[in-house]
Amino acid sequence: MRAYSASAEESVDARNLLKDWLAESFLTREQYDRMEPDTACDLRRTNIFLRVVLFLFTLIIVAAAAGLFFVLVLDRSSSQSTGVFLLVCAAASYASAEFAVSQFHLYRYGIEEALAVCSVGFLCGGLLALLSSSTESLVPAAGILASLWIWHRFGLPYAFLAAMIFVIWLAPYWTSSHSAQHTIVAVFYATGLIAVIAARPRDHSIVEALLWLGIYLAINLQLSSMDLLRQWWLGPASTTEFPRAFYWTTWVLIWLLPPAILVRGILRKDRLVIAVGTIAALLTLITNKPYLGWQRHTWDPMLLGALLIATALLLRRWLAAAPNGIRHGFTAQRLSAKDKQWMSIGSAALGLATPQAITPPHQPAAPGPHFGGGTSGGAGASSDF
Amino acid sequence: MTILTRLEQWKEQGILSPDQHSLLSALSRAEPFSVFLELNLLLYAGILAFVAGLGWTVTTWSQQLGDVLILAALSAILAACFWYTFSRAPAWSVAEVPSPSLLFDYVLYLGSLVWSVELAYIENRFHLLSGQWDLYLLATAALYFVLAYRFDNRFVLSLALSSLAGWFGLTISHFPSHQDATYRQYAIVYSLFIAAAGAITHRRALKPHFFGTYLNIAANVLFWALLSGVFIRQNSALWLLALLAACAASLAWGISRRQFAFVAYAAVYGYIGISSILLREMNSGAALLAYFAVTGAAMLIMLVAIARRFGKEA
Repeated sequence: MRAYSASAEESVDARNLLKDWLAESFLTREQYDRMEPDTACDLRRTNIFLRVVLFLFTLIIVAAAAGLFFVLVLDRSSSQSTGVFLLVCAAASYASAEFAVSQFHLYRYGIEEALAVCSVGFLCGGLLALLSSSTESLVPAAGILASLWIWHRFGLPYAFLAAMIFVIWLAPYWTSSHSAQHTIVAVFYATGLIAVIAARPRDHSIVEALLWLGIYLAINLQLSSMDLLRQWWLGPASTTEFPRAFYWTTWVLIWLLPPAILVRGILRKDRLVIAVGTIAALLTLITNKPYLGWQRHTWDPMLLGALLIATALLLRRWLAAAPNGIRHGFTAQRLSAKDKQWMSIGSAALGLATPQAITPPHQPAAPGPHFGGGTSGGAGASSDF
Repeated sequence: MTILTRLEQWKEQGILSPDQHSLLSALSRAEPFSVFLELNLLLYAGILAFVAGLGWTVTTWSQQLGDVLILAALSAILAACFWYTFSRAPAWSVAEVPSPSLLFDYVLYLGSLVWSVELAYIENRFHLLSGQWDLYLLATAALYFVLAYRFDNRFVLSLALSSLAGWFGLTISHFPSHQDATYRQYAIVYSLFIAAAGAITHRRALKPHFFGTYLNIAANVLFWALLSGVFIRQNSALWLLALLAACAASLAWGISRRQFAFVAYAAVYGYIGISSILLREMNSGAALLAYFAVTGAAMLIMLVAIARRFGKEA
């Protein structure tokens, strides 16, 4: 059912590992050159930058071609004709994606990904035009199924994320109760999680992490409530939107879920699940006061920052104190060249973004959306007091 | 065939030594499991949250706490950070120097951010330079450059480049008119300046690993400035020529150095610039869509050719 053979994908993984080990000097260049031909496969790949650009231009071509045909041939036609046309586009896009994979062996190449994504978009658009308002709930349902198929067939994790978003779209068709909607979404994700844990598909790690995150976001009413902006800017959330028992049950759950996710991630040594567990724990700390209706203080971020720094340092110290710096199979040492690469990219990008993010704006003049102008630079030296 | 089977084969073929085989087998099974990246992210998020809270608290409570207490607290944090970094710094080298500890880079980053908060507080309360923010920014940028090169810190280098950009921007905000054009010119001057500075330091082997940061920032600022020139009606042909020249240079650089981010910059910025000129007088929806379908296909063919020839991942 998968568009790529398991052996080909394992060869890709093996080649990635060899590159990583070479960069980390676990292998010599000579060893790498002798081992690398053994990982050859017929899949055609490209680097991340070209992949993104190829994805964007494929989207432009497909959308423009469909739009052009519609304008020239189907303009002022009925919604039924439009719907049928979009369904034909969906089928054509999907067939093109399959053709690109089977004939040209494209793998994470941008083009086949964009075609697969377009097929889901056209399918939903076509159904939206064809169906009446009473059967409109079939649109997100079809979106879920199509996205899951794309994920299963091509192994694109963001297709699974799209399926999760379609679940959110589906819930309001079944009930107008906000608490019931949150419950439906959480139950859907939990069912998916059980299925993923049981079946353990090839890319189960990222999918499991997404589902854990989805469940957490669905039950944290401070994050997933419809009037999120009002709550965050105008004051703490009121409990009146939700039944009291439901509200406080979710409060208990947002405290129980992060440790559960973290334990699972640590036991399975799953980096993405650990990351989601950490994010969930942070979000719980950040949203706890609004949940309880308590007032925020200006020093709250300082306390949170101190907690994070202390946690990192204690953890590092605890791991480093063990023989060879390894405790229970975990180490604080860098073992992958990818980590260094991520750190280099992240430090440059985050260092640039930091001043805007953490300092209140002040300007003697109002430069507007221009280059520089002080609001984007100065590492906060233009803060106002 | 799993990676473990492959490793076994390579050992039997004599490519891997038994020690290497056991090491790589363990690594491929995530034994041990490294949390290096996670610890760094926790520290970064912690520093960011701490400084955000510090700035917020100082802003909100400056009247109640008083200048002396605030300045004493900020100075104490600053002094502690700089004492830590200067006392534990490894010997300086022109080459890349690994950080002596996990915490080291982040303490320097914290100190740099607290310096900015304190400086802003002093100027706002005492107006020592009568609102001459550009001088503060220039001095701050200079300090950050020194710290970044002394301690080999990319976070602080980015702060330095950002502060320098702020200085360029603030300097011209004093000019009363034609700010758009002036900003554009200064953005180009800024990008050329930092690209040249990066190239010179790279050529002289002075922290050559910083070159990528310089070049990426310079390229993006330059492309934005040129694009904003293309979007205006006056002299847009000249701006387009300059944009195309920059795209050609970026493309050539990206292909020759196998840095495909620059190929992507050339493709995206170039396409936006040319399209904005060609579509300016186009009113027909069909013509617009035809343009995107045809030019998008042309771009796709060109990019696939580049990807097949130069950009193979495998």
